[in-house]
Amino acid sequence: MLLEVEPSGGRFTPLQNRLQITPARLSDNLKRMAEHGLLRHLSPLERRHPALPEYVLTEKGLLLRDAAKAVQSAEGMLGYGRLSAKAWNLPLLLALHYEHTRFQDIRFALGQVTPRMLSGRLDELQLIGAVDKSIAELPRPAYIYLLHQDSKPPVRRLAADLSSLL
Amino acid sequence: MFKPGVTVWYSVKSLDQTIDFYKEKLGFEVNFHDPDTGMAMVNTNTKDCIIGFSEAEEVVPSTSSTVFEVYDIVHTRELLEQRGVRFIGDTETVPGMAKLATFVDPDGHNLMLSEELESA
Repeated sequence: MLLEVEPSGGRFTPLQNRLQITPARLSDNLKRMAEHGLLRHLSPLERRHPALPEYVLTEKGLLLRDAAKAVQSAEGMLGYGRLSAKAWNLPLLLALHYEHTRFQDIRFALGQVTPRMLSGRLDELQLIGAVDKSIAELPRPAYIYLLHQDSKPPVRRLAADLSSLL
Repeated sequence: MFKPGVTVWYSVKSLDQTIDFYKEKLGFEVNFHDPDTGMAMVNTNTKDCIIGFSEAEEVVPSTSSTVFEVYDIVHTRELLEQRGVRFIGDTETVPGMAKLATFVDPDGHNLMLSEELESA
């Protein structure tokens, strides 16, 4: 949604048409985004013309919009579809980029992820070829997880893009 | 300073209902309709006088009337009422000026018929 607010002119109907979701769901999402300070809802009395925006991104919204652009670009380069649609996929890839390679290291780096969730995501990313799994002998035998060779440049770029926003 | 032409814009809840009202009930011609952006315009019967519509999540009915001149307000009101147009109150007279009848579009925006009095 963050990416579609401006191309839709900040108006409800074009936004709904671009997103192809129900009015009730869009309304609910917009309300929640406004509550979180990402959007400002302009009242009918604040709008000088009916064709002007009903919603505008706040400074925080613009920042997250840029982050969403970076994510979208990385997903395009990775070629595995919308990885961000599932929780933890992208943080996990970023953790591997920052050389957290062992399960417990990754888990610690991600903070709130459950072992089961992390295990599931690692399996899925390995299955599609984004992540390689191997055994490291030292200091003690353990599985390690690494970004696949082809995944490294897009994830490196994503990390750089997100860092530049901070 | 100004070029000829006036456009009145309204925010509306449903472009389909609005177009149905202005086209089928009032008889105006749709000159632009883009469902993707939720915008449309109709030509009134006066050259370069256009009404534009833009769908919005929240609509506040306008009480500032767009006034349409008619030759016979009684006849026009009857005709529009037969087509299902809702009028507000009786036809009123401003002495020495005009007879006025207020009606509303599907969003409650005020519109008005005006018949100029012969003596005006």
